[in-house]
Amino acid sequence: MSTILTDIESAVSCRDVVKEFGQGDTRTVALSGVNVDIRPGRMTLLVGPSGCGKTTLISIIAGLLNSTSGTVNVLGRDLSRMSGSELVRFRQKNIGFVFQQYNLLPTLTAAENAAIPLIIGGTPRRKAVATASELLAAVGLEKRLNAFPSQLSGGQQQRVAIARALVHEPRLLVCDEPTAALDAQSGRTVMELLKRVALQADRAVIIVTHDSRVFGFGDQIIHMDDGVVTQVETTRNTAAAPLYEVSHD
Amino acid sequence: MNWLALRMLTGDRGKYLSLIFSVTFATLLMTQQVSIFMGIVKRSASQIIDMRDADLWIMDNKVRFIDEAPYLPPTDLQRVRGVDGVQWAVRFHKSNVNARLEDGNFRTVLLMGLDDTTLVGAPREMIAGNVADLRRPDAVIIDKAGYEYMWPRQPYRIGREFQILDRRAVLVGVCKASAPFTTLPILYARFSQAERYQAGQRNVMNYILAKPEPGRDPLEVCRNIEQRTGLMALTQDGFFWKTIDYFLGSTGIPINFGITIALGFIVGVAVAGQTFYLFTLENLKQFGALKAMGVTNLRLIGMILLQATVVGVTGYALGLGMTAAFFTYTNRITHLAGLHMTWLAAGGVGVAVLLIILITSIVSLRKVLVLEPAVVFRG
Amino acid sequence: MIKRLRSFVLPGIALGMLLFSVYHLLFAAERLPKVSPLVEPPHKALASVICGTGLVEARTENIAIGAAVPGTIMEVSVSQEKVGQQIEKGRPLFRVDDRHLKAQLKVHRASLKSAEAELGKLKQQPRLEDLPPSAAKVKAAEANFQKMKDQFDRSVPLFQRKVIPAEEYTTKKFSLAEAEQKLRQSEAEHALLKAGAWLPDQELAQAAIEVAQANVEQTETEIERCLVRAPVDGQILKIDVRPGEYVSSAPGKALVMLGDLTRLHVRVDIDEQDIPRFSSSAKAAAVPRGTTNLRHELKFVRVEPYVTPKKSLTGDNTERVDTRVLQVLYEIQPGTEKVYVGQQLDVFIE
Repeated sequence: MSTILTDIESAVSCRDVVKEFGQGDTRTVALSGVNVDIRPGRMTLLVGPSGCGKTTLISIIAGLLNSTSGTVNVLGRDLSRMSGSELVRFRQKNIGFVFQQYNLLPTLTAAENAAIPLIIGGTPRRKAVATASELLAAVGLEKRLNAFPSQLSGGQQQRVAIARALVHEPRLLVCDEPTAALDAQSGRTVMELLKRVALQADRAVIIVTHDSRVFGFGDQIIHMDDGVVTQVETTRNTAAAPLYEVSHD
Repeated sequence: MNWLALRMLTGDRGKYLSLIFSVTFATLLMTQQVSIFMGIVKRSASQIIDMRDADLWIMDNKVRFIDEAPYLPPTDLQRVRGVDGVQWAVRFHKSNVNARLEDGNFRTVLLMGLDDTTLVGAPREMIAGNVADLRRPDAVIIDKAGYEYMWPRQPYRIGREFQILDRRAVLVGVCKASAPFTTLPILYARFSQAERYQAGQRNVMNYILAKPEPGRDPLEVCRNIEQRTGLMALTQDGFFWKTIDYFLGSTGIPINFGITIALGFIVGVAVAGQTFYLFTLENLKQFGALKAMGVTNLRLIGMILLQATVVGVTGYALGLGMTAAFFTYTNRITHLAGLHMTWLAAGGVGVAVLLIILITSIVSLRKVLVLEPAVVFRG
Repeated sequence: MIKRLRSFVLPGIALGMLLFSVYHLLFAAERLPKVSPLVEPPHKALASVICGTGLVEARTENIAIGAAVPGTIMEVSVSQEKVGQQIEKGRPLFRVDDRHLKAQLKVHRASLKSAEAELGKLKQQPRLEDLPPSAAKVKAAEANFQKMKDQFDRSVPLFQRKVIPAEEYTTKKFSLAEAEQKLRQSEAEHALLKAGAWLPDQELAQAAIEVAQANVEQTETEIERCLVRAPVDGQILKIDVRPGEYVSSAPGKALVMLGDLTRLHVRVDIDEQDIPRFSSSAKAAAVPRGTTNLRHELKFVRVEPYVTPKKSLTGDNTERVDTRVLQVLYEIQPGTEKVYVGQQLDVFIE
């Protein structure tokens, strides 16, 4: 496919997104008409109480779930029009994930874990590990490259996870409660790291959290409750988003 | 990705080894049982296999297996000799007789009466003594296992005497012979000698051994013999399978071994399958993360199949090797001698192991394939 | 680096085990190769269609000589060393106990003598010494008659003249008649004496002699029967008799076996099922048992026209008779390896 240069403001734009689970009596509505715009170069926090639908929303944004209705446009692509395998490829290329439980492979070293997205993308292992090692140095783990996850502390593991999420330079970083399993100090370190390493002009960062200690790191905070967006706070503005490329392969 | 799959598999040595061990164990159990089963059944036709100098067996046309052959009139030998395509034919006797040892003990033995002139069917591998001594008066040769059965823990002593039907038998040799199904001692004697060991019976020829003329199709010669004489003529292979078929069809042995082999398979499936399934389950979260990070289902299938293949092949090879080692070792034990791993056992168990890993892979895969990647967000 | 090597340990072991099991599979299941028999069995001598077992016998067949009368063997005139030697017809072989017969012979001979004497005695009659008294008796009777006649003649005129009474005359007349009869009696007795023995008596005596003679000859024959002689010229094949043994005259018991060995025959048993394929003009050859490369060419002699029940070839005559065989005689062509009477040959007939 050709490369399309688009002048858009939003990295992610959701319009009237509805998500229902189940059918008949067991039907539950997780999202009921969500409208959200997320811009690149900003750190967006998605906050709200448990069960408010924030995990469902980022799952839809990350292409892991299909919405029941409404349009989800991520990096200029309409996700609801993409086939399953297109979605997988889209995720692999454009989205980085940081999970609450880190989800590192226990049998791989830190460097190898961080190299996984590159390896999935087809980069030769040696080169992938080298790139990952550089990134691990950037997150301050240059001395633990060959450590196994079980040999690392929670904060260190999450830093490896962040390196893994960024190693293939995605345009969208999705973090699910990255600090929930960490103590305050480690949580702060992780958030600072995200702010410092992850946030770039052409990369949108979405962080789902209910940890009020990290609210201060957000450029934009989207409050949700009961399947709808209740409030959008913008704490600071960054420069207008530049023109950027969206890959369509 | 293959590297990733292998690292996932081998990273945890304990789990990796227990996975392989379970396949090894199942392979060992099944290969060993199938091999022993085949060996034991094959023993029912040991005397047919041991017949190295004649190609054709001729007997009454109602014979079902080797231990059950009525005596033939002596003129049948001449009639068989006259059949077109028969190079030579000699008489042969096989029966069970009672031997009375020096100390008065009785032993049932398998008596083989060999044609006096030619000694067709005589043992070829002697441990002690000489085959030619069979021509001496009252001479008999016994097989190694039989000697140990008749005179346990005694050195081979040529010339010892015992009695068969109140007649003297002098041991002139100990030979190697395939163990018979009944584990009876095998006694070789001249035909005329064997005749004397039969109470009040004459015409003790129950088989005629023959060789087709060079260049003739043995099966065609068999047909000629059957046409001309009305007797049943079988090639060595034909008689071997006839006897085997009888044992398989009319004894409980196949059922017993079948149960053991089935148990081996079930244990193999249970242990190997379960371990592998648990292994996949434990990695489910990792698979979910990989899926979220953009690994296609096809590649996941490839990864799991690769893991299963490595486990299967390694475990199978180790199990096969252990079976081979087992039989190599037990071959030195007289009563287990001659048993060995068979191609069929190795191949069949290979297929069974393949089935086991395929079944468990499919079950594991199902779990992974239906896995919603969104699950990774629901800690 | 060590870690890298370590990951190859298990696959390495597995590969080794696999190779080992393939080696085991290849060599443990090795099937023993075919071998040829210790002694190669007789191949068919001809492109034959019929095979039979042949028994070598003498040209005359084997003559089994037994005893004609049962009894104890007194002597054997052919010693065991004579086995295999040529003997002429009529040569004594052995003798059964005949002592009682010899004793009987003496008795019969005595009877014969007695009968002969009896006849001689009859033939000698009349005894010369008996004649004079008899003649004298005749003469005395004649003298007495003459005396009576004279007295009577004298009385006749006297009576007529009534000198003497009638009573005296009558007395004289009957006395004369009595004297006449007495004379006749003595004359007849003398004639009887002179005639000698009566012929039928002589014939009776002759018959008694013949009876005695016959008895003597019978006993002599019995004695002769006890002595067994060779009926033909031939070789002694077997002697199975020793002095002192009791032998019966039961059939089938060969005490001495005789046969003419100048030529040997083979009696071949051909199974009745093979008879249709048998042709007397077919070539035939025999192979002795125990050898495989010797071969005797055979010449057809004759077929025994009667298909007999198969008899034992092992010498055991209680062997089960379960089939009938056609017996064919062949002559062994001379000049080949020696075969012996009674030897079994495998015979191949084209």
